[in-house]
Amino acid sequence: MSQGTQVNQYTALFDNKTLSMLERLRLNPTRRLTNRSRGEHLSGKGGTSTEFSDYRNYVPGDDVRYIDWNIFSRLNKPFMKQYQHEEEMHVVLIIDASSSMDYEDKFLRCKQLAAAFGVMGLLNFEKVSAYSCNHKGGRPVNLSPCTGRISMKRLFDFLSSIEVGGNSPIESAVEDVLRSHRGRGVAIVLSDYESFGDLQRPFNMLFSAGLELFGVQILAPSEINPEINGDLRLVDSESGQTLDISSAGDLLGLYHEHRVLLEDHLSMLCRQRSGRFLMTNSGDTLEHVVFDLLRRKGWVR
Amino acid sequence: MNYWPGFYSLPGAWYLLLLLPLVVFYFLKLKRPHKSVPSLALWSQVINDRRVNSPFQKFKRSILLLLQILLLLFLVLALMQPYIQSGAERAEYLPILIDCSASMAATDPETKESRLELAKERVTEIIDNLLPDQRVSLVAVGSTARRLTDFTDNQRILKQSLAGLTVDDVPSNLEDALRMTQALSRTVPIKTVLFYSDGNFPQEVDFDLPFELNYQMLPTAGSNVGITSFNARKNQTGNWDVFIRVENSEKNESPVTVELLQDRQSIAKEEIVLGKGDSQRLEFSISADKKSSLEAILIPGTYDSLLSDNRAFLNIPQSRSLLVFIDPDLTSYRYALGENKDLVLYPEQDGAAGPPEYDLVISSYEKNMDKQALVKLGVGFVPDDLKSYVLLEVNLTDVVDWNRSSALLRHVELGDVQITEQPVWAENAKVENLEELGYEVLIHGRLGPLLLQKRNSDGLEFYFLFNTDRSTMPYRVGFPIMVSNLIQLTLQEAGIAEVQASATPLLPTVEYVPEKKYKIKAPNGKQLSAESNKNGIVSGVAALHVGKYLISGEGAKSDEISVSLLNPLETSLVSIDEIQFSEVPVSAAQTQVDSDKPLWSEFAFVAFVLLLLEWWYFQRRPTGIPA
Repeated sequence: MSQGTQVNQYTALFDNKTLSMLERLRLNPTRRLTNRSRGEHLSGKGGTSTEFSDYRNYVPGDDVRYIDWNIFSRLNKPFMKQYQHEEEMHVVLIIDASSSMDYEDKFLRCKQLAAAFGVMGLLNFEKVSAYSCNHKGGRPVNLSPCTGRISMKRLFDFLSSIEVGGNSPIESAVEDVLRSHRGRGVAIVLSDYESFGDLQRPFNMLFSAGLELFGVQILAPSEINPEINGDLRLVDSESGQTLDISSAGDLLGLYHEHRVLLEDHLSMLCRQRSGRFLMTNSGDTLEHVVFDLLRRKGWVR
Repeated sequence: MNYWPGFYSLPGAWYLLLLLPLVVFYFLKLKRPHKSVPSLALWSQVINDRRVNSPFQKFKRSILLLLQILLLLFLVLALMQPYIQSGAERAEYLPILIDCSASMAATDPETKESRLELAKERVTEIIDNLLPDQRVSLVAVGSTARRLTDFTDNQRILKQSLAGLTVDDVPSNLEDALRMTQALSRTVPIKTVLFYSDGNFPQEVDFDLPFELNYQMLPTAGSNVGITSFNARKNQTGNWDVFIRVENSEKNESPVTVELLQDRQSIAKEEIVLGKGDSQRLEFSISADKKSSLEAILIPGTYDSLLSDNRAFLNIPQSRSLLVFIDPDLTSYRYALGENKDLVLYPEQDGAAGPPEYDLVISSYEKNMDKQALVKLGVGFVPDDLKSYVLLEVNLTDVVDWNRSSALLRHVELGDVQITEQPVWAENAKVENLEELGYEVLIHGRLGPLLLQKRNSDGLEFYFLFNTDRSTMPYRVGFPIMVSNLIQLTLQEAGIAEVQASATPLLPTVEYVPEKKYKIKAPNGKQLSAESNKNGIVSGVAALHVGKYLISGEGAKSDEISVSLLNPLETSLVSIDEIQFSEVPVSAAQTQVDSDKPLWSEFAFVAFVLLLLEWWYFQRRPTGIPA
């Protein structure tokens, strides 16, 4: 992208065309986890909007204003009219900004996806907040909840400004976020999930907090298909720990098995909490991931 | 065979000490390259899992080291020059005699492989398996022995010489080869001599073996039929009777066609069937007033193993009258030969001068014996060189004994001949003195020899030491027979009454200009050269191949001389499996020569494969990626 073109772009994360396509997409959560404040998401409960939903029997204490008098006159029995209730949904973007994400273009893809999900939320009049987790135990850098198209620039600026680096594992990052977050909705956790810790606890906490879990694992091409051979000393980018391996070529089979096992494990953890999981290759194009993969998976509509 | 290998160069094992620096350097250089990864979480699981799953983890970790150790081991083993011991005693100097006589060209009906090619294959095996301390010398055995190489372990030279060895159309002479080997044994210690032959040579060899002879008899070839004799004799009518003998080997019955060509024109053809081992003499009658050449061609009706005996050549000489000089006072001889129309007697009555050369000279004067003649008969005098051994006395004597098988005295009865002159041995003279001078006594008298024969380079000489006219000999029936024998001898010497085909391995003697060089083109295209002696005789030229030899040079005028094989033994392809030497017989070995098998090349090859394997292992693409 040339300098002149960059100047005309709304954000450096993706071009205007992609942005305009993103604006037409909406998040498609499985559960209806909403807040009491009005919004564009239909809540599961009866609401006060003008759109009719259903009838139910009258029980004492119901607001008589919602009795359907026409039916009462015909059947001599009161029935309550129910209307769809439109409530606001909170979209929480939890971004793993530890050093492990600073590998090839994983972090860029992470920010692009966060921006994409954020745009979908903002343009659907949801509350969108974002958290960037760098250091374990530290307070995450966050974008306070915002809504509407007007907040899009803010979101992009926030995402562009966050720095990568640190040793925050994803499980502690989630806990750090939930310490300050309030509100139900969708929690989109963007990370490589390459952690030594147990993810059950943070995922349970998300579930308990009324957040539908959208787990997105972002891996670099060389993590999916590493081409290494011989005797090597592997160095952890976060902790600096080393691991000596011999005949690395022979280990690749096992590596792949374990990577797939991790993917299946994460997918199972999400599904057990009515969530979703997706593994993406940072080498794939953003368009492919958002407009093809997420659509086919039913994440967006 | 002992399968436990021996090592020729055992000190090479010291190179195994290189294993120490190899291992040390391997671990010293094992500095792992650093590779940064986002997280070790997955890799840690992988390593833990592999440790559980792979009990040979440590082995796999050092597979490159193991390959390098194996590579070094095989290289050192190759350096130690291992070999599988054959069990046989290993000869350091090994002469290999290879029969290259005519019968070695006989081919097998199925494989079409000649005996010589088979021998070459077996000798090549020995050369290939030569050990570093072994030296081989190749000797070709034909009509004479020919040393192809000195004692050497240079396989290239040995194989080159072996490849250049071809069959000579000659009979084999094992004795000559053994004598040459005996001479070699004086320079190097020779324990065993290998001899590859088809067994087609005389069974008895007059030789005392100073070494062990390992006689490797090659398998017999197919059936063979060939010409073994080709000669012609002039008959009474002036025509020539031509005789061709055809022989068949012991294998099969063979129908053959024999065609006779005169001056390249076919003049006769005869078809015969020869049983196993049969021979048959064919007779043809031809007229030849002038010099002409005959060629007999044998066309076999079935498979014929040997081709060189299917052609034979014969030259018919120009017919002429014998020129005979007889002293006028030897009337008995003149009378005996006067009626023979095939002779021209000199001196003639008109006193004309005679020719410069005669065929036969009969004289009672020693000075006439200086005349050039093929056969000379001196009558009534003792040659000058014998005067100190034999004296001539006037005394009555008679014949005591005579050589009845002599060509001159064949069918001659001398028992009642009375002689008035008596040759007497001088004091201390005996037969040996005459033999030293080249004389042979044909008739013994009471006190001395009566008839002597001497063969010299000019021809044949006979000396009656008494005057036959002063004996009763001319009145006996034996006299005309003796004179007739003399004429027959002269005809044979002149070669105008009977001719025989020339056979290998020498060209017949020819006479040209004295002391000149001549070029001879052999049938196989090779150029030979020869020089005539002071008498103009060209002799001793090797003719190893059947066919026509073209002689060019002064006086030769591109003469063609042909030689044929004409050897019944070679044609018969008979194989003997036991050679009878003077003291001990030697039987053909039942097994092939089992030489030590060097293994260094195999070890070197394995080392090379290991090197490739190591390279491949080091350079290969990671194999763990699932499809």
